[in-house]
Amino acid sequence: MNIVLAILLGLLVPYGIRVAIGPSVWDRLLGMNLIASKIIIIIMVYASMNGATFLLDFAIIYALSGFIGTIFIALFLSERSIRKGRGKKE
Amino acid sequence: MIYILSYIIIGLGILFMLFGVIGLFQRKRDFYYRILIACKVDTVGMITIGIGMALRHGISFFTGKIFLILLIIVVLNPFVAHIVTQAAYKSGFISVYKRKDGDA
Amino acid sequence: MNNLIIVLLVFWIISSIWCVFAQKTYRVIIFFGVFSLLTAAIYLFLGAPDVAMAEAGISAFTTIFFIVCVEKYYSRGEGLKHEMATKTNKPRKITRYIFPFIFCVALLVLFLNFAPTGYVVTELRDQYLQMFMHDVGGLNAVTAIYLGYRVYDTLFEALLLVVAVVAVIHLSWYEKTAVSDGKHSEMERSRMAKFTMRIICPIILLFGTYLVLNGHISAGGGFLGGLAFASFIICRFLVLGIYDLPIEKAIRMEEIVFINIVILPILAIFTGIMYLAWDATEIFQNIYLIAMSGLIGMKVTLGFFVLFYRYIAIERLPEEGEGE
Repeated sequence: MNIVLAILLGLLVPYGIRVAIGPSVWDRLLGMNLIASKIIIIIMVYASMNGATFLLDFAIIYALSGFIGTIFIALFLSERSIRKGRGKKE
Repeated sequence: MIYILSYIIIGLGILFMLFGVIGLFQRKRDFYYRILIACKVDTVGMITIGIGMALRHGISFFTGKIFLILLIIVVLNPFVAHIVTQAAYKSGFISVYKRKDGDA
Repeated sequence: MNNLIIVLLVFWIISSIWCVFAQKTYRVIIFFGVFSLLTAAIYLFLGAPDVAMAEAGISAFTTIFFIVCVEKYYSRGEGLKHEMATKTNKPRKITRYIFPFIFCVALLVLFLNFAPTGYVVTELRDQYLQMFMHDVGGLNAVTAIYLGYRVYDTLFEALLLVVAVVAVIHLSWYEKTAVSDGKHSEMERSRMAKFTMRIICPIILLFGTYLVLNGHISAGGGFLGGLAFASFIICRFLVLGIYDLPIEKAIRMEEIVFINIVILPILAIFTGIMYLAWDATEIFQNIYLIAMSGLIGMKVTLGFFVLFYRYIAIERLPEEGEGE
């Protein structure tokens, strides 16, 4: 299980690179979303290694509240573009 | 026996996630391809790792909580990808290939 | 020290440096999101699950507040001027990155080599850690401290939230109190959003109730339960586009709940009823802890509801007279 944990931690590097160099805002948002889901998996593996059930509470609240930030960044950016007239008209 | 099976399944999940990294760094592709590949493969990898973890612990409280997390992930991860893509499309972020077609 | 924590700390330092030196405002918000995600995980692995859960809940909310602030800043045309002025030449940029990095690495090395060599005052620590079950009740020492030994802190933090809500209401730019129809968010029409929220909202409510009722036994507590309920209300606002909750009643109810939060410790702790050695003390302690958690949860829910309704759902929409 230590190897699994090491690989999952190593996966944070390419996602972080995508957040850093992403040409557009949306690439950065994608990287942020992936990092959040990776941390949930890391917590699950760590809890499974230690047999600690209370750590999974944290994973649940992380999954439930982590998506709100991502969604609202996307929402506000698109609404701003539409207000400026660059967006798609329906 | 079940331990070995669970290791195999967790390894499979890790493999899926590594495929996702390959999709994330395609230089010719743009954002829409990246989010398609990365989020889909990532969700599959998370489900697989969760099932492997549930096999390790048998029928217990731990497994129940893991299935709750899996339910949340299965519902929310594609939803976030959908919202980000929809926002990118509505704000006028155009794919590279489409832009070339428009010029020509 | 665990290797996991060291790797996460290195990522944490890098993300904090990105966050400080990013060139555009939206990048700063996204880097700060990554930073606070990592912060929550580090708190968890360093052995503070209560703080970690609070950080995970707050990180989503700070992101929303920041992005609304940036929106206002840009809409007045000041953001672009500022960004044009902060372009610098290359060598200066490199030095700006290098010095914080060296400081952070030095701090990391110091932190990893830090070994506490015995506690000077052990008496008070023993008193708190061994007697909290007898004194305050519950199984979580953190809850026992913030609802028992340090109940003054809780009272004044609740007062702070009241002050914040009052300030937002009275300094708000707009006179409107309700959102007019036809200006809801784009996602209102999405069938996928409705379907997802139909599954997620019951889980959020259930988990919030679990956190409130289970706060004195395991990690969690009233604040986190309140954050969960508030996120349910915010999902109703911004994902489903339902704006039907009455704001005036929420403000009035928040004041009533705050008075209850002040009265309950006065009756329970300051009069000494908690410490009397009668038979039903344990039941009484549990009732007190759960009631305090529920009241704090209600207070946080109502406070965040008023803040978001006022600050985001109403203020982010352009006024009718000004034009788009």
